[in-house]
Amino acid sequence: MTRTPFTDSPVVTTTVRLLAPFVLTYGLFTLFHGTTSVGGGFQGGVVAAAMVVTVAFALGIRQTVDWLDARALWALVVAGPVVFGVVALAGIAFGGGFLQFDVLPVAKASVYATEAIEVGIGATVAAVVVVLFVHIADGYSEPTDVAPASGGPEEARADD
Amino acid sequence: MTGPFEVALSVVLLTFVLLVAVLTAVVRDVLTAIVVFAAYSLGLAILWVLYRAPDVGLTEAAVGAGVTTALLLLAISRTVRPLDGDTFVDRRSVRPRSLFVVALVAGGLLLTVPALPPVGSVETPAFGPVAEFYLQDAAERGIDNAVTAVLVVYRGFDTFGEVAVVFTAAVAALSVLGREVTG
Repeated sequence: MTRTPFTDSPVVTTTVRLLAPFVLTYGLFTLFHGTTSVGGGFQGGVVAAAMVVTVAFALGIRQTVDWLDARALWALVVAGPVVFGVVALAGIAFGGGFLQFDVLPVAKASVYATEAIEVGIGATVAAVVVVLFVHIADGYSEPTDVAPASGGPEEARADD
Repeated sequence: MTGPFEVALSVVLLTFVLLVAVLTAVVRDVLTAIVVFAAYSLGLAILWVLYRAPDVGLTEAAVGAGVTTALLLLAISRTVRPLDGDTFVDRRSVRPRSLFVVALVAGGLLLTVPALPPVGSVETPAFGPVAEFYLQDAAERGIDNAVTAVLVVYRGFDTFGEVAVVFTAAVAALSVLGREVTG
C-alpha cells in the first residue's frame, strides 16, 4: 500500500557500497580541481551530497541520519558564506578592494583564493542538501517501526 | 557541433527531452512523473555536455536527476494515493481564465524574441572584448578553467550573493520544516 523509498535488495546495497567511495572521491576531486578542470565548489558539493542521499536510500535513512553529526553539518552550512566573506575582506585588509585577490601576499594568490572559496561553497552546498534531506526524512518511519495496529505517522500527526 | 554524429545525437536528445517533458505533465501516477522528470534532467545533462558546457551538465545531472528526485520521492512517501474515482482535480475542465493567462504570458515572451541577436552573430556580447580579456587574464592568473575564474574572480560579488541565497534558503526552509516536525 505505502511505497518505501529504500530497498532491502542485496544488488542495490552492494552496488551502493561499492560505488560510494569512488563517487565521494570524484566529488572531492571536482571540488579541489575547479581551477584546472571541469567542476568547482557547487558541482563537487552536490555530487558528494547526492552520494550521501543515495547511501541513505539504499542502506536505510534512519541509520544514515544517526551516522551524521548534526553540529558538523551546521558548521559546514555556515562555512561557505564565512570563508567567502573572510577571503573577500582580506583584499581590503591588504590594501586592495573587496574581492581583490592579487594583492594577497601569497604566491598565485588568485588560484588559492579561488580554491578556498570553492571549498567553502562546496561545504555549504553539500551540507544544505544533506540537512534538507535529513529534515524532510525526519518523522518518516521505516516500515519495521510501524506496527499496523498503532497506526502510521499520518495518524500520529493528526492527533497533535 | 560540427560532425553529423553530434547533430544526430542532439536531435535525438532534444526529441527525448521534449517527449519526457510532456510526459511529466501528462502521466497520472506521481511516482511515474518523478521518474520521468529525472529522465528529463538526465537528457538535459547530456545535451549540456554535447554543447560544450560540462560544468552545467555535471550540476544538472547531480541536482536535477539526483537530489531533486530523492527529495520528491521522500515527499510523496508521506502522501497517500487517492482511491479510484476519488481524484482531487477534474483533468478535463480548463477554466477560460487560465487559458487567457497562459496565452498572455506565452505571447508576451514570444514578443521579445525578435529583440534577440541572430544565432552566431558577431554582435553578441559573447564575442565582445570582455570574453577575450577573461580568457587571457584567467590564464595569466594560473586558472585554466575559465568558468571557475569568471564565477569567483570576475563575478565574485554575484557568487557571494548566490552562496548567501543558498544559506538563507536553507535556514528559511528548515525553520518551516522544524516547526512542522516538532509542532
